[in-house]
Amino acid sequence: MAESRTDERVVVIDDDNAMRLSCRQILGRMGLAVETYSDGAQGLAGVAREKPGLVVVDLKMPGLSGLEVLCRIHEIDPSIVVVVITGYATIDTAIEAMKAGAYDFLPKPFAPDQLRVIVSRALERRRLAAESRRLEVEREMLKRRFVSFVSHQLKSPLAAIHQYLDLIDRLGDAPEVAAKRRDWIRRSLARSVEMRRLIDDWLTLARIEGDSLVGCRDSIDIAPLLARIVDGERERAALVDVTLTSTAGEGPLPVPGDASCLHVLFENLIDNAVKYNRPGGRVDVAAALENGEVVVEVRDSGEGIPAEALPLLFQEFFRARREPGGARGNGLGLAICRRIATELGGTIGAESTVGEGSLFRVRLPAATDDAVAAPVASAEEAR
Amino acid sequence: MDAKKRILVIDDDEDFRDSVTTILEHEGYVVAAATSGREGLEQIERVRPDLVVLDIMMDDPSEGYGVNQAIKYQPRYQQFQDVPILMVSSIEETPDERFAWASEVAMIRPDRYLTKPLDVPSFLATVRQLARA
Repeated sequence: MAESRTDERVVVIDDDNAMRLSCRQILGRMGLAVETYSDGAQGLAGVAREKPGLVVVDLKMPGLSGLEVLCRIHEIDPSIVVVVITGYATIDTAIEAMKAGAYDFLPKPFAPDQLRVIVSRALERRRLAAESRRLEVEREMLKRRFVSFVSHQLKSPLAAIHQYLDLIDRLGDAPEVAAKRRDWIRRSLARSVEMRRLIDDWLTLARIEGDSLVGCRDSIDIAPLLARIVDGERERAALVDVTLTSTAGEGPLPVPGDASCLHVLFENLIDNAVKYNRPGGRVDVAAALENGEVVVEVRDSGEGIPAEALPLLFQEFFRARREPGGARGNGLGLAICRRIATELGGTIGAESTVGEGSLFRVRLPAATDDAVAAPVASAEEAR
Repeated sequence: MDAKKRILVIDDDEDFRDSVTTILEHEGYVVAAATSGREGLEQIERVRPDLVVLDIMMDDPSEGYGVNQAIKYQPRYQQFQDVPILMVSSIEETPDERFAWASEVAMIRPDRYLTKPLDVPSFLATVRQLARA
């Protein structure tokens, strides 16, 4: 016969033979595997052996008292749920037992239904407690992995810099090190810039989460903001032979938000579009008012993003692409974009065809004449 | 002297590869470097190293563990299963912590583990010890 699960095993400890028999019968009909014992010492040995999910124990027995048995059961396994049986005369003891960790008590005499209800409830509670413990462990593990990952990203550039300096210090006179010294210093500087960016981005994310960056809900016209960003990026785009154009719709495009947040959001998107492009490529920025939303699209003619990477694109530290030079971002840029868009009541999404390019689209609720619009709740496009 | 022992360094961090290669070559080892787990597995057959220095977190957060297991377990790399593997990382979780649940499965652990940045004297002592075997 297959061994029953812990949750389906019950131990009954009672010196009253009739009580043991009726418990066995009632609980047996509930599909539970029941073991009965006539005194505390045997009962405890049984609990240690059977590892039941539930113990029903009489409080008043010769030898070990029910209260002592209760405490010892929880020494064996604190997750075992204990129900105590008590006579009217020992109601005070029952309350004491509850304080000592019993789940509930059942006054004698009781009807079969009372036992059934209390046992079902007790087993359900045990199941829920186990489930919540499992979730807690899982959450803790995810958190630890994440912290471990962040610290890895922070320590990697530091480790590289440290190692270069250490080698220059130790072997500075060796010809192979002397020849590389200049290059190593240059690369150490690049890594320190990488590290500073990561710290800055991480802090930006934390600040957005803390709601201080988007706390302010001024009505901001996006049209001139986009024009400023595009102007600022144009020179850089020209350096890598990318043409950057912008078409904004007619009239102002007001959104309730914080200017610096909106700047970070669109600058990140346009900067990416230039970076992940190809010589002779294009970046087109378009913005328009559509059904009460300001929609901004940034389209590039870069290498595109594989379909399987799209759902992960806005996750922290996910990096789908290498920049043309082989360099990689820190994986926080798009996470920051998503967080800003979401905090402003909007959405961000991406479409892409490998070999042709990508399109990033941000939808933000437009500000009404009353200056501040209620955020429009809509399903996240990126999914 | 351990001169002319061959070492394969597998790490996606260019700067780490560069500095480790320099110091190992300075000590007289012959060094080959690979930029990813896959490239490392391709190179192992060509280089036939006496020791592999292997990063844990590359493109995939546990890529190094995959390479370690491939070398120790996959029939294709059977001839290299005794090549010692020195794992290196700046990751917080050590292999011992990661595989605490599998203490009996010694095979999935690396032979040695060192954290980045490497302390050069103890790194070289470890390399000498492992590459000699």
